[in-house]
Amino acid sequence: MIHIENLVKRYGDLVALDHLNLDIKEGEIFGLLGPNGSGKTTAINCLLALLKYDKGTVTIFGRPMTPDSYDLKKDIGIVMQNVAVFDQMSVMENIDYFCGLYVKDKEKRRLVEEAITFAGLENYKKMRPKKLSGGLLRRLNIACGIVHKPRLIILDEPTVAVDPQSRNKILSGIMELNRQGSTIIYTSHYMEEVEQICSRIAIIDHGQVLATGTTEELKKMIKTGETITIEAISLAEPELAALREFPHVFDLSYQEQVLTLRLSSAKHNLVRILNFLQEKNISFGQVFSALPTLNDVFLEITGKELRD
Amino acid sequence: MTVFRGFMTITRRNLPIAVMYIIIFVAIAIMAQQSRTEDEISDFQANSLDIAVIDRDQSTLSKGLSDYLAKYHNLTETPDDPAAIQDRMFYRDIQYLVTIPADFEKVYLAGQYKKLPVTKIPGSSSGFYVDQQVNTFLNAIRTMSSGGFSLEEAVKEMTEGTGDTAEITMADKSGHGGSMPDYAILYQFLPYVSLSILCYVLCYITLAFNNIDVRRRLLCSSVSGRQQNFQLLLGYLVVGIAVWGLLNLLPVILYGRSCLNDPHLPYYLFNSFLVMLNSLALAFLLGVFVTRQDLVSAVVNVVTLGMAFTCGVFVDMDILGKGIKKAAHFLPLYWYESNNRLLGFNAEFSRSQYRSLYTGFGIQILFAAAIFCVALVFVKNKRRTEA
Repeated sequence: MIHIENLVKRYGDLVALDHLNLDIKEGEIFGLLGPNGSGKTTAINCLLALLKYDKGTVTIFGRPMTPDSYDLKKDIGIVMQNVAVFDQMSVMENIDYFCGLYVKDKEKRRLVEEAITFAGLENYKKMRPKKLSGGLLRRLNIACGIVHKPRLIILDEPTVAVDPQSRNKILSGIMELNRQGSTIIYTSHYMEEVEQICSRIAIIDHGQVLATGTTEELKKMIKTGETITIEAISLAEPELAALREFPHVFDLSYQEQVLTLRLSSAKHNLVRILNFLQEKNISFGQVFSALPTLNDVFLEITGKELRD
Repeated sequence: MTVFRGFMTITRRNLPIAVMYIIIFVAIAIMAQQSRTEDEISDFQANSLDIAVIDRDQSTLSKGLSDYLAKYHNLTETPDDPAAIQDRMFYRDIQYLVTIPADFEKVYLAGQYKKLPVTKIPGSSSGFYVDQQVNTFLNAIRTMSSGGFSLEEAVKEMTEGTGDTAEITMADKSGHGGSMPDYAILYQFLPYVSLSILCYVLCYITLAFNNIDVRRRLLCSSVSGRQQNFQLLLGYLVVGIAVWGLLNLLPVILYGRSCLNDPHLPYYLFNSFLVMLNSLALAFLLGVFVTRQDLVSAVVNVVTLGMAFTCGVFVDMDILGKGIKKAAHFLPLYWYESNNRLLGFNAEFSRSQYRSLYTGFGIQILFAAAIFCVALVFVKNKRRTEA
């Protein structure tokens, strides 16, 4: 459905997109995950032909995307990172206005009502955007972007500065849109969100795609199979050295009486380590075992945390 | 026409501001009209001053002059003593003293008259006023003497006179008693209201549509940028023409037939139409420059009031200083006001007046085009830096 090939975008000496390649299939919720400044928004802006790029090609629905591709734009809904609505229009007028940019009058009324219901803005129809809370404002922004029921919806960090309740509503709404048949591109630096809703993910940093795949595929790409955290009192260097030699352990840290072990995937890792601590008469308190997250994937690929 | 409809929706939100300016407009016009009427009634009032004459000649001519001045002023007795005179002048007991030297009549009749020594309050206009009366008397005596009157007859004629007064009427070139008609006064203030309403309302709208996020969002839509710009331009023109129509309706409502029967009405309409075009161009320019909504009101007030005061909207052009007038040549409202005066003061135009009128129209058109082009250049540069 969307094909981006060798996309290069420079701002002077800064290379914002460095031979970026992406393939997005119809019906997917495709997550573009990366830290702030990694090139996600630039990629979206190039995809929408809002920015001129230096090199590469972008095709949507099998046709090249240009600033004049109005027939393509008709089937694309965009929810910008910054809320893009008119302060002097009411909630309903804003949704109606953005709907009118895509569809004719006959269908408009029904679509506007549906978008209002979808975003849960029934009680705020006549309010001006300035009177809305951050969460409601984001929901209005989304309603304006999806009101014309597009085939492709691009959401650029739609949950920034949103309270948990509104965030959940937004995420479940996005999944509902996908169920209704829209393909979705979702950019975020919140890995939990991406993990929760995206069927496929591309991890992006410094304008390059570092890895692409489903959550499981990405996790399988890395060494970490399990991260064990144990609150252990007074671990000495000989015990730590012994633990380092344990099978499957490839990383260990002990700070402020918290032992963190990263292990490759294997059975009975936790039992073996707890037995060792008991044998050595080392008291331990809370014990956690966690499967790898996208942050682990990002950490292992780039050597830094996703939120750095 | 979604963009156009959105434009109109935002315009509707600003209607209270427009109504407020129209109320101000009508109030100012009515107040100006009333103050003008009072001015005309109290335009002239003769003043009587406290003056003194020291007559060292005691001749027919000198007594005649004293009597002549006594007709218009309060003649008070003053001793011929410099110290006493200075005291009386200092305490303003007298405001003017004329000293008639001995042999004045003889010298005057011999044609060797020099100026009479006078003492007056330095720089006072009243002193100048009495000077004129003294000169009038002496010149009249000379004229009558050379016309065959004896000195006594001439003096008698001047001091007693016939009491006839000449009635003076202003040349009625405009058909309004030599002054501008009331609706022309309304047209004099019209540019301020046109500028204020259009700059205020359209500046807000331009700001809303120039918001980078909104603009990018609109560029993602299936309505082409050209179509969007066309609809915005249409919105500008519709709002401009509506305001122009409303402001031109007011003189008709307030002054009825006298306004409708004025043969210059089409010129008034065209002149105000050009002000509307300039207001639109200026509103567009301000909308490009102003980046925050809270600044709109301040910027619009500075620009509109500044331009209105400099170009003779609130103050009569004759009162404006030379420097200000020269500077005002570089503003479109100056040419509007010049044309308005031309229309108000003249019922019929000479060829050169027609030339002035059309020059004023032409310059206003050029101003509107220039402001619009400057705004477009800034928009282009702004968008290039954003890309």
